[in-house]
Amino acid sequence: MAAPCRKMASRSFPQLLCYFSRIAVGSGACRRFSVTPIDRATPRASTAADRATSPWSLMAAVCLQRLPVITADCSPIEQRFKQMLQQMELEKSLVSDHELRLMEDAERMSRRQADDYDSDEEDRGDQEIMMTQDLEDTWEQRLKNFQPAPRVRADVDKDLSSAQRCLADSLVLLAEQQVGAERLWLLPQAAWQEGETLRQTAERALDSVTAAGVKVTFLGNAPCGVYKYKLPKAARTEGSVGRKVFFFKAILADGAPGSAPTAPLLWVKKSELQKYLKPSYMMKVDRFILNL
Amino acid sequence: LVFHYTQLQVTFPQQASILNQSLCRATPSIQHPMWCTASINERQYRDMPTHGIGRWRHLLPKQAVSLQNSKKKDRNQQKELVSATDTAYGTLNVKVSGYDMTVVEHYSQYIHNLCNRLNIKVAESYALPTKSTEVLLMHEQGNKTYVDGVLKTHQRVVQLSSLNASLCPVFVDVILKNQPEGVQLSVQEHTEADYQARFKARPELEGLIAQINQ
Repeated sequence: MAAPCRKMASRSFPQLLCYFSRIAVGSGACRRFSVTPIDRATPRASTAADRATSPWSLMAAVCLQRLPVITADCSPIEQRFKQMLQQMELEKSLVSDHELRLMEDAERMSRRQADDYDSDEEDRGDQEIMMTQDLEDTWEQRLKNFQPAPRVRADVDKDLSSAQRCLADSLVLLAEQQVGAERLWLLPQAAWQEGETLRQTAERALDSVTAAGVKVTFLGNAPCGVYKYKLPKAARTEGSVGRKVFFFKAILADGAPGSAPTAPLLWVKKSELQKYLKPSYMMKVDRFILNL
Repeated sequence: LVFHYTQLQVTFPQQASILNQSLCRATPSIQHPMWCTASINERQYRDMPTHGIGRWRHLLPKQAVSLQNSKKKDRNQQKELVSATDTAYGTLNVKVSGYDMTVVEHYSQYIHNLCNRLNIKVAESYALPTKSTEVLLMHEQGNKTYVDGVLKTHQRVVQLSSLNASLCPVFVDVILKNQPEGVQLSVQEHTEADYQARFKARPELEGLIAQINQ
């Protein structure tokens, strides 16, 4: 992401190592249906038998979040409090080295102006007197030359498909996918297949929706939410009554995703989710998306 | 004793609450002289039926003794790999680093308090030594560099002994959302190398070992 130098230092979240992702040999389905604690020696046949009895088919979805890049603006009361705290800290603080040097120099200057000035008494020469104030002036000059990037860019904020919008909020990725007969806006999901963990399903879902080269960190092997729905009566068969969708959380680590995604993508704030998601779906998704 | 009780039940049926007082006053017995002098608030004699009625510490399992013994010894890291229905991660290090010490410390304290709230066991919480970085800038006119400033990188580590896999995404999400600016966060497994890196090198010891090995 070619970012001009931002006013607030951007933070990075490096090195979330993917640990123990292969400990659970069984898939999410195995863990859900077996009541006894997992004995890894149990054969796979039990999974198949369990699956055959259940009419729910499983899907995994990804809640991909882009964390805020800059700090949110303070509300008026927060601003006043911040100013008050800063004032208190300033009054309680001790003088720093730089300020001490400034005071010494000022003192020396005043001594030089005095009539009974004897330059032999001084240890240092003229250079030191100029340096401290000069230093301060050069720093002020450099600060003036520094142009921070604008915090809020209105045109980018309105572009819902750009990952650079609303830098002060966290955004969630939505994709338009075909569900049954209609196209709906929802978190990218994919159907679970035999022999893979639910997390792999979620990764597959993400890959299918965004272009390659997107660095994403999954926050864990366990899902954070579930949504189940029954298929409409016309579509129900013996084997499938409905679907259960498990949500996995992920964080966008680097770079803007997908220059050419296969399906339309949206980056929305939590407050805007209402407009795109169905109400029952929204209720379940609402619970695990944090709006901090 | 029983004799006393039955006698008093006959004589003072309604005054069960002031039984002790009545005992002292009504029957000043020679067998139990201390009852006359004892007030109600003093600890009763061991023969009293209600002696030790509030004792509960003897019912707890014997853990306290071992805890006191392990204070002086070296604390070994304990690696747990619980694979049950809720898989838990082993020992994890949540490392917080940054240039501003107050922010880094406050953030690590926040993480520690959050773990206490969520009942995640915190094994240790320590600081790694501060690393100083000197920023050297080139002069505009010449090739010489001059020291522009010194940046100190502070690091704090919160070590979690076991983190529930179902709790992990929630926990990490909350931490990330509350990350202050200028602070880098990293969550890694704890390894033996991490543990050994905290110790200072002992050059004389290493020299002697090298001599022995030669």
